[in-house]
Amino acid sequence: MNKMEQRLTREQVGSIVKMLGLTTDREFNCSECLQHVSEFAECQLANQSVGEVISKVEQHLAMCPECREEYEALMKILKAGQ
Amino acid sequence: MTQNEVNWPAALRATDSGEQTAAVNALREILQNGLRIALNGRSDVSGAHLEDFAQESLLRVLDRLDQFQGRSKFTTWAQAIALNVAFTELRRKRWQDVSLDALMADGAHLAEPAMIAEDVLGADEDRTRLVAALRNAIENDLTPKQRAAILGELRELPFDQIVALLGTSRSAGYKMLHDARRALKQRLHEAGITSADIQNAFS
Repeated sequence: MNKMEQRLTREQVGSIVKMLGLTTDREFNCSECLQHVSEFAECQLANQSVGEVISKVEQHLAMCPECREEYEALMKILKAGQ
Repeated sequence: MTQNEVNWPAALRATDSGEQTAAVNALREILQNGLRIALNGRSDVSGAHLEDFAQESLLRVLDRLDQFQGRSKFTTWAQAIALNVAFTELRRKRWQDVSLDALMADGAHLAEPAMIAEDVLGADEDRTRLVAALRNAIENDLTPKQRAAILGELRELPFDQIVALLGTSRSAGYKMLHDARRALKQRLHEAGITSADIQNAFS
């Protein structure tokens, strides 16, 4: 990998800054997100508001691309079953 | 009886082996169908993969039955676990050849001025000030492993792969990253850069 490929792009620096903007003192980790994401997904599907605990799922999904990918796949399954 | 009317935890724990076997088989089929929908179109997933993922997911669900608290449908909870199993394995295969040395070396370069492309800054003074403070914080306030972890995230390296490369657990790895983000944010605040400045800088 050469220097040019290692150079951080505008998008990557923006991504760090965005992560910092979303950072809070108390966050769900990936395991906690997984434990609650099914409830969050059903609320989203039903267009229902979410409580304080479940809102931490939304914050984690904004931070974590892996959990977001799995959440989007879960929504795909739930929508197919509607 | 529809799948949502089944008392899944009770059926999966049934002492009647016939009832339990029927529930296990039904759940395996549900998980496999869900995975087929979710992973449809991926060239790296075959029918055999779907069967393997469904079986591994089933075992994981049975192992975690006590953690189901009934706040969602059981099948939604189980599908979330199945997707976690499948995507974790697919990411592991994709990134299995990335080495820790490469990640650490890349992480060490994060703070170097040359590593931030010129077009990041533009003519915006606030953004320039923010990026300078960010670079200073990355250089002075993060450990090499924290720098490597942040770079791994930017490279879209799976979190499981990052923690494996760093030789730590998932929860310890998340804490390390969270501490790194908090340290960077704190340093920006000390430099007079507010949360609003951070959120607006690249919006």
